[in-house]
Amino acid sequence: MDWILFFTVVLKAVLFSTGGFGPLPSLHHDFISHGWASEKQFTEALSVGQVTPGPNGLWVVSLCYLVAGVPGALLASIALLLPPFCVLIVQYFHTRIASKAATQGLLDGVVLVIVSFSIIVLTGIFRSNGLDIAMIAIAVLSAALAISRRVSANMILVLAALFGLILG
Amino acid sequence: MNSSTATESKLFTIKGLFLAWLRIGLTSFGGGTVTQYLIQESFIYKRQWITGEEYAKIMAMSQIVPGINIIAYTILIGKRLGGWTGIGVSLLGLILPSAAITVGISSIYASFSEVPKVQASLRTVFAAIFGIAIATSWRNVQPIITNNRNRGVLAMGVTLVILIGSALVYVCFNPPVFLLYLFGGLCGALAYSYMAKKERRMD
Repeated sequence: MDWILFFTVVLKAVLFSTGGFGPLPSLHHDFISHGWASEKQFTEALSVGQVTPGPNGLWVVSLCYLVAGVPGALLASIALLLPPFCVLIVQYFHTRIASKAATQGLLDGVVLVIVSFSIIVLTGIFRSNGLDIAMIAIAVLSAALAISRRVSANMILVLAALFGLILG
Repeated sequence: MNSSTATESKLFTIKGLFLAWLRIGLTSFGGGTVTQYLIQESFIYKRQWITGEEYAKIMAMSQIVPGINIIAYTILIGKRLGGWTGIGVSLLGLILPSAAITVGISSIYASFSEVPKVQASLRTVFAAIFGIAIATSWRNVQPIITNNRNRGVLAMGVTLVILIGSALVYVCFNPPVFLLYLFGGLCGALAYSYMAKKERRMD
C-alpha cells in the first residue's frame, strides 16, 4: 500500500466535503477505482459507523481499518482531524466573511451537490446488497420514521438489526 | 476541588477538559445532534466554562468548515479554554477512545461477517441507514429549497440546476467528486452574491 497516496486520497475526500457522509462519494470513487475496497466493505463501514460512539464520520476510520489495518485507521483519524482546523482561519476572518452572501451561497451550493451525490452513491451500495421487497420496505419505513422524529435513529437501527436476525 | 467525572467541577483544569471530552466521545451515539446536545450540557450548563453566546459564535463559525463540524467545535472550545494544549487534549479525549472502539467493532465484524445471521442483520441495518440517510439529506436540503423558493425564480432555478445538474454529470461522466463540489459551491456563491446585490439595489 502506497501510504502517501492512501493518506492523500482520504484527506482530499474529507477536505472537500462537509458532514459525516460528506467524504462518501469521493472515497467511494477513489477506493473502488484503486481496487482498495469492495461495495461490501462500504456497507460494513457505514453500518459500524452508526453503531460506534463519537462524532459522525468515524465510519471512515472503520473503512480504512477494513482496507488497510491499523495503519489505515490511524491515517484516517489524522485525515479526519486536520481539515476542521480551517475553523481557526474562519475565526480570524469571521466578522468579515460570515455575513457575505457569497459565503452562504458557497455553503448551500456544496450542500446541494453533496446531497445529490450521496443519494446516488448510497443507492448504488444499497442495490449491491440485493434488492428485495423487505429491504425496500425497511428503507422506506426507516426514512418515514426518521423524518417523523417519532422514533430515534438508534432505535430504528436496533429494530432493523433485530429484524435481520429474525429473517437471517 | 476534585475533578473526577462524578462531580463535574466548575474549576477549569486541563485534566477536567480531557475527561469532559472523553465522556462526550464515549456516550455520543446517534450522530451530530446528540453530540451537540452533550457538548452544551457539559460545557455550558454543568461546568459553565463557556457561555451560550460564545457557543452560538462557535456554532456559526463551525458551519463554514470542511470535514466534520463537531471537530471544529472541539478545536474552538479547546482553544478557548486551554490554547493549543486545550485543542490537543480535547481532540484526544473525543477521538481516541471512539476511534479505538470503532476499530474494535470493525475487527469483530470482519471475523463474524461470514455468519449468515450477521450478514442478514448487516443488510437490514444498511437498509435502515439508507432510509435514515435519505431523511437526513432531505433535512439538509429542505431549508435551502424553502428559502430559495421564497426568494424567487432565479434562486429556485439555481438550486434545481445545481441539484439535478450535478446528479446528471456524476452519473454520466463520473468526474472527480471534489471538482463538482467546488463547481456547486462557486455557482452558489456567484448566484447568491448577484441576488444580494439585486436585493440591495431594490431597497
